[in-house]
Amino acid sequence: MLHRLIRSAALRIVATRLLQAIPVMWAVTLLTYSLMNLLPGGSALVLAGPGASSAEIEAITIRLHLNEPFWDRYYHWLFAMVHGDFGTSYSTGQPVSKILAVRLPVTAELVVLAMLLSVAVAVPLATLAVRRPHGIADRLSLVICMTGLSIPGFVLGLIMILIFAVHLRVLPAVGFTPLSDGLWPNLRTMILPSSTLGFALMCNYTRVLRADLSDQMRGEDYILTARAKGISPWQVLIRHALRNSAFSLLTLIGLNLGVLLGGTVLIEEIFSIPGMGSALIQAVETQDVIVVEAVVVVLSLGVVLSSLLTDLLYAVLDPRIRYGRPAS
Amino acid sequence: MVAQLVDPTAAGGPTGAGTASPDFGAPRFPRLRTSLELAVPAGFLVLLVLACFVWPEIYSMRNPVKGNLADPLLPALSPHYLLGTDQYGNDILSRILYGGRVSIEVGFGTVAIGLVIGGFLGAIAALRGGVVEIAIMRTLEVFLALPSLVLAIVVATYLGPSELHVIWAISFFSIPAFARLARANTLRIREQTFMVAARLAGSNDRRILVHHVVPNVLPSLMTYGLLGIGVAIIVEAALSFLGLGVPPPGPSWGNMIAAGQQNLATDPDLLLVPSAFLFATVLALNLLGDALRSRWSSA
Repeated sequence: MLHRLIRSAALRIVATRLLQAIPVMWAVTLLTYSLMNLLPGGSALVLAGPGASSAEIEAITIRLHLNEPFWDRYYHWLFAMVHGDFGTSYSTGQPVSKILAVRLPVTAELVVLAMLLSVAVAVPLATLAVRRPHGIADRLSLVICMTGLSIPGFVLGLIMILIFAVHLRVLPAVGFTPLSDGLWPNLRTMILPSSTLGFALMCNYTRVLRADLSDQMRGEDYILTARAKGISPWQVLIRHALRNSAFSLLTLIGLNLGVLLGGTVLIEEIFSIPGMGSALIQAVETQDVIVVEAVVVVLSLGVVLSSLLTDLLYAVLDPRIRYGRPAS
Repeated sequence: MVAQLVDPTAAGGPTGAGTASPDFGAPRFPRLRTSLELAVPAGFLVLLVLACFVWPEIYSMRNPVKGNLADPLLPALSPHYLLGTDQYGNDILSRILYGGRVSIEVGFGTVAIGLVIGGFLGAIAALRGGVVEIAIMRTLEVFLALPSLVLAIVVATYLGPSELHVIWAISFFSIPAFARLARANTLRIREQTFMVAARLAGSNDRRILVHHVVPNVLPSLMTYGLLGIGVAIIVEAALSFLGLGVPPPGPSWGNMIAAGQQNLATDPDLLLVPSAFLFATVLALNLLGDALRSRWSSA
C-alpha cells in the first residue's frame, strides 16, 4: 500500500509542485521588500514628512532599522513574518497582523462571491451557446462577453451604483455590513460589488468554456461515439463534453486570482468595503510602508497558493495524471 | 506544428476544429464580413488618434485645464461646449481629446517597452536554452505570480504621479507575458528546417534573431500587444482614477471618471462621457485583436 503510494504519479507531482512553490514564495517576499526599499518613498526623510527635524528623522531611521544593511533588515522582516509578526502600522500603531485578520475575510468573501456568481452564470451561458452554434444564445453570449471584457471594473461599478442605487434606489450605493449583523444585510451590501467583480470574470470564463466546449463537440471521438449510441445532444453536451471542459475552467479560475485581487482594490475603493484593497490604498496614502509590504506579500502569496492548489487539484482529478500517464 | 501544417486542408472537416476562427453568425458574405471586422475597429482607432493628436493642433480647442469658472456643469450640446463642462467650467470635449492623448501614449508606450524587452528575453531564453533559459523564465515567473495591478499601484505611488511613471509601472509588469509568448513561439520554430539551414550557413545568434526569429514571432506578439494596449489603457485609467496617474488638473479619462464619481447623483454625464470613450477604445482594440488573431490562425 505504502509502496504504491510512494510510486504514485499524483503524489510525485504534489511533492514537486510543493517544492517548486517554496522558492517562488521566497522570491515574492524578496521582490516586495526590495521594491519597497529601493523606491524613494520608503526613506525616513519622506516618512517624516516635509519640515521634520533631524532628530525626528533619526528616530524613524532607528525605529524602522533603516540604518542597518539591506539583507539584515530583509531577513529580520522575513523571520518575524514567518512567525506571524508583520510589525506595527506606522500610522495607526496597530499590529499589522490584527489589521490583516480584520481585512482578509472581507476580501475573501468578495472574491468567493464573485467567483461563485461568475461560474454560476458562465457554465449555463456557454453550454447554451455551444448547443446551437451561431444561434441566438451564441450571438448574445459573444456580445455580452466582448462588452464585459472591454469595460473596466471600476467604470462598471460606478455605472451599477448609478443605476441601482441612484436611480432605482433598490440597493445601497456604498458601505459594508459585516456578516455578524446577519446574512441578508451583509449580502445586500455585497451584491453590487461582487457582481461587478464577477462580470468581467464571467465573460472570461464563458469565452474560454465556449471555445473549449465547441472544440470538444466538433473534434473529439468520444463525442461521436456518444452520439452514435443515440444519446440526446443535451446529454452529450452536459454529461460528456462539459465534464471534460471543466478542467480548463478550473485552471482558469485558479490562474485568474491575481487579476481578481488587483480588481478588488478598485472595487473596494469604490464601494467603501473595508478589505485588503482599501487597506492598501489607505496605507499607500499615509506612506505606511509596513502595512503596504504586508498587504502585498499576503495578496501575492494568495496568488501563488491558488495556482499551487490548481495544479494539485488538477493532478488529483485528471485520471491521466492520477494513473501516471502524461497528460497530452 | 504538424497540426498547423495540416489544418488548412482539413478546415471544415470534423478534425479541423482546433484552430477554427471564432466567427459569429452564419457568414452570408464571408469576405465582406472579415474585412468589416478589421476595418470598423481599425477605422475607429485611426479616427480617435487623429482626433486626439491632430485635430487640436489644427482647430484651436479650449484649454482643457483653464476653464471658465462662470460656466460650471453645463449640459452637453450647450453653445460653445459640445459635450458640456465639468465642475470647474473646463470644456469636456477638450479634456476628452487631451486625456485621450494620455491613454494612447500610455497604451502604446507600455506595450512597446514590454514587447521589445519581453520579446527579447523570451527569444533569448528559447534560443540559448539551459541555464540562461531557466534563469530568465524563473525570474519572470515570480513577476507573473504577483498581482500586477497591486504592484503597479505601489510603484506608481512611490514614483509619484506622472504619465511617465505610469508607463514605467505598467510596462514593468507587462514584460513577463510577452516573454512567455515570445519563448513559446521561438521554441516552435527553433527546430525547423530554415533555422537549421541558417545555423549551418554560419549565421551568428544576432543574425538568426534579427532575420529569422523576429519576423516569425512578431505577428503573434503584436496581436497580443493590441490586447495589451487595451489592458494598459484600463490600468492607466485606474491609476489616474485613484489619483496616482496624471496629476489632477491635467486631463486623463481616469481622473475625469473620478470627477464623475463625485457628481454621480447630480451630473451622471461627467461619468458617462469619459467612460464611453474608454469603453469604445478598449472594445475597438479587443475586436481588432480578435479579428487579426482569427485571420492569422486561419490564413
